[in-house]
Amino acid sequence: MIKALGYFIEIIRGILITARHFVVNLFFHILKVLGIKTKRKGAVTIQYPEQKKEIVSRHRSLHRLMTRPDGKPRCVACMLCVTVCPSECIYVEAAEDPDPEIQKYPAKFIIDLGRCCFCGFCVEACPEDAIRMDTGNVHFAQYSQQDLIYDLDKLIG
Amino acid sequence: MIKIFIDKDPVEVEEGTTVLKAAERAGIHIPHLCYHPAFPPEGSCRMCLVEIEGFPKLELACSTVVKKDMKISTKSERVVEARKAVLEFLLAEHPLDCPICDKAGDCKLQDYYDEYGLFESQFKEVKEKREKKLKIGKTLILDQERCILCTRCVRFLREVTETQELGVFHRGVHSSVNIYDGATVVNNYAGNLAEICPVGAITDEDFRFKTRSWFLEKRESICPLCSRGCNILIEYHPGFARFEVPKKVYRIKARENPEVNGFWICDRGRYGYSYLEEGRADQIILNKIDGENVLTWENISEYLGEKIKRLYSAKKATGIALILHTWLSNEELFLVHKIFKEDLKVEKIFFADPPQIEADGYLLTSDPSPNIRGALEIGFDIKTVDLDALADGTDFLLAFGPFLSGLFSLGDLKEALDKIKGKVLFSYYSNELNSLFDIVIPVALIAEKAGSLTNVDGIVQSFQPALEPPGESLPEWKVLADLGKKLGIDSKFFEKFTSPDAILGEMGKKITFFQEKE
Amino acid sequence: MTETLTEILIVFIKIVCALVWFLLLTLYLTWLERKESALIQDRLGANRAPIFGIRIIGLFQPFADAIKMIFKEDFVPSFSRKFLHTLAPFISFFFVAITIAAIPFGDILRIGNRTINLQILDFNVGLLFILAMLSLGIYGIIISGWSSNNRYTLTGGLRGAAQVISYEVALGLSLIGLIMVYPSLRLSSIVVYQGELLFGFLPKWGIFLQPLGFVIFLFAALAETKRVPFDLPEGESEIIGFFTEYSGLKWGLFMMTDFMEIIIISTLLTTLFFGGWQVPWLASDGFHFPWGGELLLPHVVIVLFQVAAFNIKVFFFCWLQILIRWTYPRFRYDQVMDLGWKLLVPLSLVNIIGTGIIMTI
Ligand code: SF4
Ligand code: SF4
Ligand code: SF4
Ligand code: SF4
Ligand code: FES
Repeated sequence: MIKALGYFIEIIRGILITARHFVVNLFFHILKVLGIKTKRKGAVTIQYPEQKKEIVSRHRSLHRLMTRPDGKPRCVACMLCVTVCPSECIYVEAAEDPDPEIQKYPAKFIIDLGRCCFCGFCVEACPEDAIRMDTGNVHFAQYSQQDLIYDLDKLIG
Repeated sequence: MIKIFIDKDPVEVEEGTTVLKAAERAGIHIPHLCYHPAFPPEGSCRMCLVEIEGFPKLELACSTVVKKDMKISTKSERVVEARKAVLEFLLAEHPLDCPICDKAGDCKLQDYYDEYGLFESQFKEVKEKREKKLKIGKTLILDQERCILCTRCVRFLREVTETQELGVFHRGVHSSVNIYDGATVVNNYAGNLAEICPVGAITDEDFRFKTRSWFLEKRESICPLCSRGCNILIEYHPGFARFEVPKKVYRIKARENPEVNGFWICDRGRYGYSYLEEGRADQIILNKIDGENVLTWENISEYLGEKIKRLYSAKKATGIALILHTWLSNEELFLVHKIFKEDLKVEKIFFADPPQIEADGYLLTSDPSPNIRGALEIGFDIKTVDLDALADGTDFLLAFGPFLSGLFSLGDLKEALDKIKGKVLFSYYSNELNSLFDIVIPVALIAEKAGSLTNVDGIVQSFQPALEPPGESLPEWKVLADLGKKLGIDSKFFEKFTSPDAILGEMGKKITFFQEKE
Repeated sequence: MTETLTEILIVFIKIVCALVWFLLLTLYLTWLERKESALIQDRLGANRAPIFGIRIIGLFQPFADAIKMIFKEDFVPSFSRKFLHTLAPFISFFFVAITIAAIPFGDILRIGNRTINLQILDFNVGLLFILAMLSLGIYGIIISGWSSNNRYTLTGGLRGAAQVISYEVALGLSLIGLIMVYPSLRLSSIVVYQGELLFGFLPKWGIFLQPLGFVIFLFAALAETKRVPFDLPEGESEIIGFFTEYSGLKWGLFMMTDFMEIIIISTLLTTLFFGGWQVPWLASDGFHFPWGGELLLPHVVIVLFQVAAFNIKVFFFCWLQILIRWTYPRFRYDQVMDLGWKLLVPLSLVNIIGTGIIMTI
């Protein structure tokens, strides 16, 4: 019974906390709407489309494929990213490069971003630093799934 | 038998074995690169060092012969240190191409580095540049930088094929494997080089860059391309459903079997795997059918049974003809023999096999089908198809295999088959031959079913399905066993045939040749 | 003849007004819920849905929601029982919507020599009618769970039924004390009784006469609305509820039913425990303060005062219910049952006996 009473007190305290937040926020927001400047402000979150949060350097955003100085992809089609990708969303087809120092290059490199979970494992696995997720681009939503399948051109460009 | 101690455990081994083999028998793996069980030890890689009590230095496990009461340790600190040092030397000039190296995943150097190496490189010097893409054979490419000079390839060409196309040139740090001026590796076993090279120095263009070895599923099977019946591993990629990339066989490798093929397979078997996938039939084709118009695997044997029963009661067996081939397993041939030869007394039984090829005097035989010996032992006499005899007075033809088209021109075949009223074909492929038959039923290849084959030397080898048969295809033995039941002449006999093993067991009882071989 | 026609017209106008009030309030409760939860959680809440670039703190959001809901695909799963599946949300909606008929919005409005009762239907069993209709609403839930032909929705529906039936008992019992105090089931009479004064200054509201009854009723009523912390039948976030197989407008009806239940519970709380349309010390001719002093007002102003008082009280309880919903986590199912049967039902029995004893003394 005593224990239940303890719960009851906490329940009341809980509702007082939420009510306080409500009233305080409402009060300061109303003051702001009325144009009265106060030191304390009502709590506000980031107003997304107008305001954007700065992307930190280690944020994982849209992938890109790095290129060699001559513009060829740096990727050697080792398929380690294909192997490590937990979403199985990368597909690579290798081809033979005439240059014996390069030998192997990706004839096809496809990432299905619709399935990608942005874990960054592909970046970790790549032995050539050929794939990075540092474009800072997080706004690539599309209306069709097909448009989320990125190929070599899109990933390099 | 003598007693030795490996890592303090007593082991009984035969006199004259090497430490490496003795350890292997005791279940202890001693890392080695140049040693290959097919050749005498070479002792060039130094990977197999072990410590033996009473010997001042570390010894090579691959070439040291055991002595009574020898105390060997394979895991002592000295050994581990030495292994690490050996690896460091081997890798000093190694390009570390793993991302673009086809061997990665199967590479022993990689594995050993992972297990015993894991050091930081101390070499600051630039690595030696060598030939990275040297074409040494029809499909073989040598990368001298990756070569660790184990000479397995050289020894293979010296001792197995005795053609000696490769050799080690120059000395010291400059030594490298190469071909002799103007020559390339041309023999029917060249493909084995890519397989026995412990690293990725020799790669095979047939496989090069197509996929990575760790994606491949490996399944055991038997090569059906000649009557040797070499044991093989079929390696296939299960496919990326997400990107609509289908299942595909990427390579065939040799599977060790000292009785049949040792460690090798010929290039015909290695590169000829397109027969597994190209042009396969995957649906029952109905060109002409009376009465029922739906035929499935469930009622096919019933349909055939009815047809044969009707003919048999009218004309006895003279109206029935049979074309067989020797890609059929022992079990299937046995069932055909029992149903048609013993029970129905059919006389017109012909064989249509692929035409003879040239044997190479080693593994490859001149019979391009795997089970001729089996057919003989079961009691068939192998008569090649004679179109006139075949068509004469025949009302119903049951044909197996796609090989008829290799023996006759389509026009001749059409002329002969047009005289026959009912024609049913069991085939692997969908090709123009199928249009000559009323019903074509797709069937499973040897790689896709279970059963057994008798090779040229009379060795009976069982096999299990390695791949999924395409589409509606199923093994022939199922229809035949079912047909035996449906015909009702000796139904009881066929009842227990629910698996190839059961059939083989029955064969052992009836045919002395198969007695102890099941 | 004209007399009956005007009567009918008046009833019709009353129905329209009440329904418009009800539905508009429902619509804006969704807005209130968003905004209130936002402020509680230090956010701003829905502030978009501009019309010609004018956003006014998201006031148009409910309309945007409604439009979206109407045009969303009305998906009926192929394995469901189609007719019942379609019927269920309407049953739920209907039985809640109809309860508004018995709610007194104000006292009597006199225009000329005609008196208009600000209540659609002045039943003598108004209270029972509302309780009965609220419990009938459970059929919508059971049928939706059953007809979806999905075992998750079925168990969701069963949980809903079990919960509503359990709390129905406490809800009914908690009101018996009240009926003993105000000897009537007619809601308008109950409100009129609450206009009297206790000890000469305290309005004779239910909350003062039946404090325990109020607490029990509040809990039971919260459980009846099936919202957090009693949202076991739906459990949108984790467990799967009875309307999982609904979408579009039909799902919207269930949602609206929820909000309408909040309003009905609020009006009941107001009417039964907080004097309904009564304003303290306001009689039919004006204010009579207990410390002496009077303020006489014209009839129309008094009626406006009463309707406003009713509305303010209802808003407050709506706000309170939303506050509760955004404060507490969900009960476990056995806790819900324990609370209902082991605490609220015995307490309400104690309340009845206590009330009886006090009344006889
Ligand atoms: S980020 Fe993760 S899921 Fe996405 S492509 Fe890379 S490995 Fe795959
Ligand atoms: S891991 Fe890097 S180099 Fe290898 S395939 Fe992926 S992107 Fe290319
Ligand atoms: S031979 Fe082995 S270690 Fe060398 S590059 Fe190839 S996989 Fe890597
Ligand atoms: S090419 Fe391969 S098999 Fe031949 S010596 Fe070099 S590492 Fe050994
Ligand atoms: S395996 Fe013994 S030296 Fe190479």
